[in-house]
Amino acid sequence: MEAVSDAVIVERVLRGNAEAFGSLVERYRDRYARYALHMLGNREDAEEALQDAFTRAYRSLARCDDPERFGAWLFRILVNRCRTLGARRGRRAKTFVFDETALLSASEDHPAEQGAWREEIDRALQRLRPEQREAFLLKYVEELGYDEMSRLTGVGVSALKMRVMRACDRLRELLSEVHSA
Amino acid sequence: MRDDDNVKIRDVARALREPVRVDASFNERVMRVVRELPKHSHLSFWRRWAMPRTITVRPLAASLAAASLVLFALVGLWHVSDDLDRAAKPIAKAIFPPKVAPEQHVQFVLVAPDAKKVAVVGDFNGWDPSHLGYQAQHRGGGVWAVTASVPIGHHRYSFVVDDSLWVADPTAPRVVDNDFGTTNSAIVVEEQR
Repeated sequence: MEAVSDAVIVERVLRGNAEAFGSLVERYRDRYARYALHMLGNREDAEEALQDAFTRAYRSLARCDDPERFGAWLFRILVNRCRTLGARRGRRAKTFVFDETALLSASEDHPAEQGAWREEIDRALQRLRPEQREAFLLKYVEELGYDEMSRLTGVGVSALKMRVMRACDRLRELLSEVHSA
Repeated sequence: MRDDDNVKIRDVARALREPVRVDASFNERVMRVVRELPKHSHLSFWRRWAMPRTITVRPLAASLAAASLVLFALVGLWHVSDDLDRAAKPIAKAIFPPKVAPEQHVQFVLVAPDAKKVAVVGDFNGWDPSHLGYQAQHRGGGVWAVTASVPIGHHRYSFVVDDSLWVADPTAPRVVDNDFGTTNSAIVVEEQR
């Protein structure tokens, strides 16, 4: 059965059928939770950012100029919410261990195990500067092109390329340290 | 050689691309908030026409409607003459005089030595970087400027450099669009006394 397009669901919501919005939540929930989780580093903040993005999207739905591309519009709101929440969280407390020694010793128990390796990736990702983490995730995990990233973030293509390059260098450095430790 | 590095970025990316599952109760939490918000009650005129929709039409009704349209067009062509057109225009103008919003000329200036193209976008030109009246000219020394008509009132605007980079006016107050995170500049255009 052919899925109902985003534009049709948006139209239903704008006509007063608020429940129809649930289909959009179901459609984009998991897909965008991944970005929020990697960007913010913990599930609680990620769900908060995601919920905030959905409710803001609902409130501003009449301003979605291209309902066929609702997903891209929602993602833009989410990227922005993650920035705001990340900045707030950064001021409040650090969720992850940022001490280099602690980081290395934490990985010594089972460095070869897949789960441990995955944890090291998450830790290293959280140690990137937020703007580098954002650029890396958009490029390599969400697999966006630089032009689209630029439209999404409002940052120039050359600056984004630089951020991605620095993020890659830093990740290599951090994860190599873990391997060689 | 980066490919020879112990840590391969593409492996890292592949690990991070693994799907993330959110608890199904998340939907209910969002919808609980949504239900408390005011319902959208109408579509704007433009959106009503622009929205895709499925329309069911009986073949007989469609044929009759098409035939009526053709007939209407033929009768219209037969009757409408240039004289009528000439007579109707001044009457229409007298009944519905074109509304002209008061405007002022505003000069926008940006220093961008590396830019190849600079345009001004704002709520006054539909945020359209290709709008002809808002293309800045290079005045030498990296200075780009354009004098454009802007309606009286409060406006938000920004510069677009090389069709891609949005730059707020460094000389103007800034405002952040909370939903989209874009920092724009604010301007108040007042009536000249």
